Amino acid sequence: MEFELFHRYGPALLRGFGVTILCWVAGSIGGIVLGFAIACLYRWSWRPVRWLLQAYVELIRGTPFMIQLFILYYGGPYVGLVLSPVQAGILSFVIYGSPYFSEIFRSGFGSIPEGQIEAARCVGLGEAAILRRIVLPQMLVLITAPLTNFIIILSKETAILSVVTVPELLYETQTMAAETFTYVEPFLVLSLCYWLLVVLTSWLGQKVEHRVTRHLRRANA
Amino acid sequence: MDFSFKVILHNLPFLLAAAKWTLLISVAGMAISIFLGIFICAARISRAAWLRRAAAVYISFFRGVPLLVQLLVFFYMLPHVGIDLPAMAAAILAVGMCSAAYTAEILRGALQAIPAGQTEAADALGMSPVWLWRRILVPQALRLGMPSLVNELILLVKVSSLASVVGIGELTRVAQNITGQTYRPLEVYIAAAAIYFLINLVISQLGRVAERRLQLN
Amino acid sequence: MPDNRDSAEGAPIITVRAMSKRFGDFEALTDISIDVRRSEVLCLIGPSGSGKSTLLRCMNFLERYDEGEVRMEGELIGWRDDGAAPRRPLPSAVLREQRKHIGMVFQQFNLWPHFTALQNVAEALLRVKRLPRDEAFARAEAALGKVDLADKAGNHPSGLSGGQQQRVAIARAIAMEPRVMLFDEPTSALDPELVGEVLSVMKQMAAEGMTMVVVTHEMGFAAHVADRVAFLDRARLVACVPPAEIFGATPADERIRAFLQTYRERNVV
Repeated sequence: MEFELFHRYGPALLRGFGVTILCWVAGSIGGIVLGFAIACLYRWSWRPVRWLLQAYVELIRGTPFMIQLFILYYGGPYVGLVLSPVQAGILSFVIYGSPYFSEIFRSGFGSIPEGQIEAARCVGLGEAAILRRIVLPQMLVLITAPLTNFIIILSKETAILSVVTVPELLYETQTMAAETFTYVEPFLVLSLCYWLLVVLTSWLGQKVEHRVTRHLRRANA
Repeated sequence: MDFSFKVILHNLPFLLAAAKWTLLISVAGMAISIFLGIFICAARISRAAWLRRAAAVYISFFRGVPLLVQLLVFFYMLPHVGIDLPAMAAAILAVGMCSAAYTAEILRGALQAIPAGQTEAADALGMSPVWLWRRILVPQALRLGMPSLVNELILLVKVSSLASVVGIGELTRVAQNITGQTYRPLEVYIAAAAIYFLINLVISQLGRVAERRLQLN
Repeated sequence: MPDNRDSAEGAPIITVRAMSKRFGDFEALTDISIDVRRSEVLCLIGPSGSGKSTLLRCMNFLERYDEGEVRMEGELIGWRDDGAAPRRPLPSAVLREQRKHIGMVFQQFNLWPHFTALQNVAEALLRVKRLPRDEAFARAEAALGKVDLADKAGNHPSGLSGGQQQRVAIARAIAMEPRVMLFDEPTSALDPELVGEVLSVMKQMAAEGMTMVVVTHEMGFAAHVADRVAFLDRARLVACVPPAEIFGATPADERIRAFLQTYRERNVV
């Protein structure tokens, strides 16, 4: 085994890990924001807009991420959209994640009984207040699990960015493997890294879920 | 921008031919996934603690590591330990083994919906565990888990695109090659996306029909 | 009990004129005209599907009525009063302003489960009336006191019985000091032994002069507490008379007789 190689390539791998985290976090946040906007727009707009949104959701969910990435990165310049690999990676993440996030938010909206919203309207609460005070706090409890679940899925999809030369963890590992002609150890260590990342994230997700469901437990105590 | 449908039309036959390989990877991967998934699921709920733990580690690992990394590990590791598989077979195996981790959990969820009384009834009749699984539990679990399994198949169609990275000439790879010759990435990749989308549309419609059939019985 | 009914007693506060409501092809309400007078208790009764809940929900525009008018103290509810040909609904801010004065209690309570009883009552005081925190919570506590639940202020709805939840819902509505209270089958979702506590709160409100419109299956409440009883059948208003004319001697209308007959058969005591 040639684990001393990691000594030499350590800094590059760490940088790659940083890029992985950057794309993942920025992509997730952007995807959540866009997804939430889509879900809200879907809830409060006319039918033609809904059809368009539905079409967007189905199209993105029905095609591979890699193809979307290629369209954006290689096709983008032909319509005047020239992006660096990292920019393309983050943007494609935002686009790819948004329909999944919007579906999660939509199911969350749907889980609040209509009567509660009627009651809020009857005492004169506005739509924004209803969303912020009645719908979101209850919804958060239900969507934390699917939300963290999808964020974890996104963390693994970052590996695909290596294909368009985003210098993330997998890309750096492949460089190291190619330059040193060692394959087994780098990829084993790489797998372990991803696995740890995923385990850690889901553990964190459970903590968050525990926190947001606090009031339910207190209520039932 | 001049979007050229002629490029798409001209290269459509190649893309469609490549889509066959995409289908092969996903369908064969799904078959492996279900077959393997049944055993992992059985291990996951078995009475032997070591089996349960082994299954949990399998599921955690294959769900915790990006499929692309798994594919690369397969490609570099297998020859290293003296197993020489054709590239296509290795890709199908990798996709299937990864998906099996998810299928096992789908089946486990479905099994929980089957009343325990059925197992007790089988025990009371003196049915062997293997027979119980083959005749009672697995058929019902597959039926109950049908919607999730159809979803899994759609997922496999999409992730089969990763096989392009290790040089398999499926849809994404062929689209890449055509792009290299025509310098028309926008048209070619959008055409490829449309084909993926249509495949998945057909699968989800078939899945709905199958679901309705199963419900009637 | 002090009688604080004011001099305007008897004047209509809500007027419904020639109002109709359709759900697709289904006529839910046809040509309804009825007044709700100040400080009266008006009970709406009738077979299920007769349209009594829909009538109630049209009064605060939870359902959009198609034709006719609903006015509260002269102000058209829900629609713009500009005579435009296809009527357009009011801007939501104006509608909210109207609804502030119309309290509503639902069959299913519709409390917000993530708030305590006190927070449920205080929420609209804080956000709609924009009262300072201390005052809002003091008023909310007073409202809970009125429904005899001061000691349950810190409980979440899941920690309250159905009757208690419905009383919190009543407190939530009266804390806003509405001019009218609408009750949509307030006891129908309750276990029989919990009905009494809710009805007694409602009786007390009536005694204090609150204007109340109550959709109910509690014939005893209608007979003894209501000033007038409206009977609806198949989307139409059949009668709107003092309770004695319905529950007393044999009612004139055959549809009312049939309804009371099946009602009595179901509730043989």
